[in-house]
Amino acid sequence: MTDQHLTQPTADLEQRIRIYEKMDQDPDWPGALQAIDYTIITLLTLGLVVTFYLWGF
Amino acid sequence: MSSNNLDNTKLEAERGDIPLLPKERIWGFWEFTYANSALAIATWAFLIGGATALFVGPKEGIAAIVIGNILGVVIMALSTCVACGKYGIEQFTFLRSMFGKNGSRLVYLLAVVGLTMGWLAVLGLMFGRSISGVMVLITEQKPDPQELLVYVAAFASILLTAWVVARGPTSIKIFNTIVAPALLLVMCAMLYLIFDNYSFAELMVLPALDAPFDDKRVNFMIAIEINMAAGFSWWPYIGNLARLSKNQRTAFWPNVIGVFGAAVLGEVVGLLAAATYGDSDPTVWMPHIGGLVFGVVALLFVSFANVTSMINILYTSIVGLRQVVGKQLRQMRWEVLVILFCIVPAVIVFVAPGIYDGFFIFLVWTSALNSSLAGICIADFFVLRRQRVNLRNVFAPEDDPALRFWKGFNPIALIALLVGFIIYVVLFNPQTLDNISIFQFISASLPSCLLAGLVHFTLTRMFAAKMGWGDYPTADSDMYDRKAAGMTAQAQSRTKE
Repeated sequence: MTDQHLTQPTADLEQRIRIYEKMDQDPDWPGALQAIDYTIITLLTLGLVVTFYLWGF
Repeated sequence: MSSNNLDNTKLEAERGDIPLLPKERIWGFWEFTYANSALAIATWAFLIGGATALFVGPKEGIAAIVIGNILGVVIMALSTCVACGKYGIEQFTFLRSMFGKNGSRLVYLLAVVGLTMGWLAVLGLMFGRSISGVMVLITEQKPDPQELLVYVAAFASILLTAWVVARGPTSIKIFNTIVAPALLLVMCAMLYLIFDNYSFAELMVLPALDAPFDDKRVNFMIAIEINMAAGFSWWPYIGNLARLSKNQRTAFWPNVIGVFGAAVLGEVVGLLAAATYGDSDPTVWMPHIGGLVFGVVALLFVSFANVTSMINILYTSIVGLRQVVGKQLRQMRWEVLVILFCIVPAVIVFVAPGIYDGFFIFLVWTSALNSSLAGICIADFFVLRRQRVNLRNVFAPEDDPALRFWKGFNPIALIALLVGFIIYVVLFNPQTLDNISIFQFISASLPSCLLAGLVHFTLTRMFAAKMGWGDYPTADSDMYDRKAAGMTAQAQSRTKE
């Protein structure tokens, strides 16, 4: 792999970029994290922090 | 496309030169969970648990381990895995969108090279102490952590690491397949032996080994800070693993089970053993935990496992180094690059062996950097770019204006990084443990992360558009969406042509 490959997109890189650009236009990205995921992440983190703080300290 | 070209393309994608497409990614939820559990089950978990035992007793220690790791792992994974898992791009290629191309290289040198060299020295010394511990057990001599054997064995472990990494990834895979499950068994055996000798209630009332402050709240927050640093210490590595998983969800959630769960298990074993046997150094408490035979076997195995951890981080770092450095260094032979990388850790072993006993100081210093980096990544990707990275800009030539910033560096992101780092050290100095009163309530990593993100967001909104930097979408328009649509339309028309 040379710098030239990185700076001058190959045909394959161009094709991959187009695929992702097309996916970016679709409002439903397959397997994307949704509001429910972020809610669970927040609740899980806060739950563990509060529970173990109250238990341990 | 011929099969040769297809193979080359696949190799380029795997190495991180071009984005991986969703269909090419190899890891589903459980595969990624297993892979990052295998990496997180490592000997440094004993060291981190032991360091926690210095500041607090086991009860506060378990709480600090859970709180620190969940905060560190979640913030770290949000800042790297979500974007890398979405676009399948190499982490430091993704960082070009916020730091610029040269800025991304600078971050790599600061975050990866420094961290890896420090860990190689620490784990090498742990190997040396383990070998010395085995000799002490066999010969029944008095232990001497400063004896020549420790340094010679530490140096030999770095040489062995370099030799295996120079041979390539196949030999590394063999090491990993054996060591990760076996280390999990050793940890479970240690936990069993501890609970065989002490009840849970007896363990929970044990005191801290060497609490530096009279105020329990400060000691507790330092213990949390050490564990947050452990969670953040995955920042330089985890994005490049997440890009191999099939989508954003499988790139994010396995970290909560794998990295968080595995690290908590190992650190709790280290904490309980250190508190029980009165020493934070695993190579000191390990011979006492299950008698002579178990002690010798455990020490020998941990020595072996240390080399595996060293091999993993060295290999990952050099692969990444080849991505970010210039053409001249990339053309250097792989073996030469490996040897050059190992010179500094080998020198540290002889010149600054104190890094092992005070390793948590080194770990917490890295958190001052990693927490700021995580804050900048979250502000840039989630808020400023609304979770959309323009891959065309990321892979554009060096002189392309979109991500050129100032001579390839984004001064805004670098200022934010500096501010985050400074606020960390003002709140909590990792070297001296000096802290200001608010530290005991808010930690140092969280404000550092938040402030770095806030500075990056504010300065970008104020100056980036005026300076023509970064191709950010504007705050009050949907220009970015229209631009993206336009690019796709152009791309489609080119395809038709």
